[in-house]
Amino acid sequence: MARLLAAFAVALACVAGMGVAFAAPTEAFALSTNKATARPNEDGGDGVIGGIETRLTWEGTVGGDEEVSSVTLELADGGNFDGSTTRVTVLDGLTRIDIDSEVSTDGNLLKVKFADPIPANSLLRIVVEGMTFPAAGGEQVVSGSYETSGGESHALDDSNAIDTISNTPLQQAVAWLDANPAVQAWNSNRFLGMFLKPQLILTSLSSLFPGWVLCLGIVCAAYPFAILLGLAFSLMKLSRHKIVRAIAITYINLLRGTPLFLQIYIAFFGLPMVGINISNNLLGICVMAINSSAYLAEIFRAGIQSIPQGQYEAAASIGMSRMQTMFSIILPQTVRRVIPTVTSDFITSYKDTSLLSSVGVMELMMFAKNATSVSGNITPYVTAAIFYLIITLPLIKVVGIIERRIERSERGAGPRPVAGQDAGSATDELEAAGASHAEAIERTGLGAGTLEPAFAEEGGVADVR
Amino acid sequence: MEEDSKGESSMKALTRRGFIGMAATAGMATLAGCGSTSSSSSSSSSAATTEAATTSDGDLGLVEDGKLTMIANMYFPPFESMNDSTGEPEGFDIDLGKSLAEHMGLEANWLPSQAFDSIVPTIKAGGTADCAITGMTITDERLKEISFSDPYIDSNQALVVRSDSDDTEDTLNSSDKKIAVQAGTTGEEWARENLTEATIVPLDEIISGMTGVSTGSYDGLVIDLPVASNQIKNSFTDLKVIEQIQTGEQYGIAVNKDNEALLDAINTALAEIKKDGTMDSLEQTWFGTTL
Repeated sequence: MARLLAAFAVALACVAGMGVAFAAPTEAFALSTNKATARPNEDGGDGVIGGIETRLTWEGTVGGDEEVSSVTLELADGGNFDGSTTRVTVLDGLTRIDIDSEVSTDGNLLKVKFADPIPANSLLRIVVEGMTFPAAGGEQVVSGSYETSGGESHALDDSNAIDTISNTPLQQAVAWLDANPAVQAWNSNRFLGMFLKPQLILTSLSSLFPGWVLCLGIVCAAYPFAILLGLAFSLMKLSRHKIVRAIAITYINLLRGTPLFLQIYIAFFGLPMVGINISNNLLGICVMAINSSAYLAEIFRAGIQSIPQGQYEAAASIGMSRMQTMFSIILPQTVRRVIPTVTSDFITSYKDTSLLSSVGVMELMMFAKNATSVSGNITPYVTAAIFYLIITLPLIKVVGIIERRIERSERGAGPRPVAGQDAGSATDELEAAGASHAEAIERTGLGAGTLEPAFAEEGGVADVR
Repeated sequence: MEEDSKGESSMKALTRRGFIGMAATAGMATLAGCGSTSSSSSSSSSAATTEAATTSDGDLGLVEDGKLTMIANMYFPPFESMNDSTGEPEGFDIDLGKSLAEHMGLEANWLPSQAFDSIVPTIKAGGTADCAITGMTITDERLKEISFSDPYIDSNQALVVRSDSDDTEDTLNSSDKKIAVQAGTTGEEWARENLTEATIVPLDEIISGMTGVSTGSYDGLVIDLPVASNQIKNSFTDLKVIEQIQTGEQYGIAVNKDNEALLDAINTALAEIKKDGTMDSLEQTWFGTTL
């Protein structure tokens, strides 16, 4: 009977003790949890995946005038601290306090024992590298307990919840690659493992995709404007007016003579300073268009000047004005000649969008840099190269084909105008077919009899046609 | 690469003779350039001499005999930066490297600046630099790739915004906010872990990040506190630190894992530097106080 009474008394004491412990939050807690965070471990993403190694950072503050001698962190069942390494930092404000600690792990428990109790008002930071959250995912809370220097043990208040996810299909494929012996052998080669790691190629293909789309978007949106601007400036450079020519030459030389990188910096950092705020992507398009237009202007100018003088004379002889000559005789011929060079320039512009990453445009190189800095591996850059090549290789092929065709036609082996074809398209083929001016005039249906009025004043041209 | 394709059009306008003359001039200029820039050419030739160095001067396995070849990202004042007028590297880490080399009886040789996130791979690959002193925090993750010397200085992180901004850590953690970081830094890791909603923009160096925050391209920036304080005091007076992030991290000197002899020598020299007061005077010079 006495024994029973004693047991009852002990139980009562326990309940009372627990009551005190639970009531504690209202009193001063010796160690309060500030926050717990986990490093994203989703390859090419920003999720925290359960069952895969990551890093937990737990932060707490020692309050009141108590000292803490040990801390135990606890994860939900399935979480694992075994095999992890731990960094314990004790701070007084921004200054480190050197206190030796001993860390032991047991499944989902991690115990940090301090050689000397850590003083009141200090910040405790525990960083556990290589721990895992439960594979099931879900919201994870870090709980645990601590001991004060007086030997009392209290429960830690729960940390904020860390969102974790269970495995993704992509991650499962990566896990399969991880386990594959052939892949392991491949990665054990320093070069292959650093530049061509299959797991990272797989994950970065998906994570770099949005950047690739933006790259393409920027250059495709910029190019039509670049062509129009380039054409305008090439015509200005060929103008008879000195001032117009000077403007064009200044524009072209300034842009061609400075690195695109510099132009990007000026546009992205200079414009906001004078109060012009344009969204990053739009500004990227503008810079690419303006930069490309200078190169295109030179390409068009060279193309226009490569058209033999005879074409102008022939056009003049049929009474065309300067504008008419340019737009219906010279430019159509120029277009065919400059297509290869313009395509090359397009390829260059497409690659040059990579420079926009330096000012925070979320394009391909930015995503690659992101993935590289997270993984510490060069492979994402190689994946970026693949994305560039997807566009550039076919284009290079196309340029080759066009160049061969032009070469053939310039030699006189190209398609010749068929009899009965209308005058306009026949004019297009003039140069290609290597026709003499006399033939050309004959074929356009203007015989010797109409030659004379062609030399009349411009006003007379309408009558001729 | 630009000259390749974009030069095509202008090339047509040149006569062949003119072009050859130009090419010859360019070639000469390139050759002359090679001769004069000794620091950059030494880095490229060093890879070939590594083997010889390790076999002939077996003890420290230096990239170049008699020289302690060091590498850093040179846009991290007051730890390392290029002097405005001379173009020479200067800063706390630079001076530390010089006195390290002195204590080891070697000549200090600083390689040209390199992106911060490429430094761990460079040291891991070996053959380019003996060690990196570049304000690099010792982390367990980096320890998997490379070795670190004993810590030489403590640091924390800072959350920087424009002085007229009302943002706090909480308001910055939102999907319409852009946070600039230096790629591969602990500041980047902190941002990714704590500002999970925001878009993190990793940059090669922090100066463009600071400029971006001041022009409004980015809403905030996370960088080591000493660097933030230095830059806000000297250059970016329109920025402010809204949060001193207590990380208590420690910088260490990065050395290739296979080179334990060099690591020991560096640690010995580092201990001497701390003991003989050199460290205190370096701190006084660069931070105006002993830490």
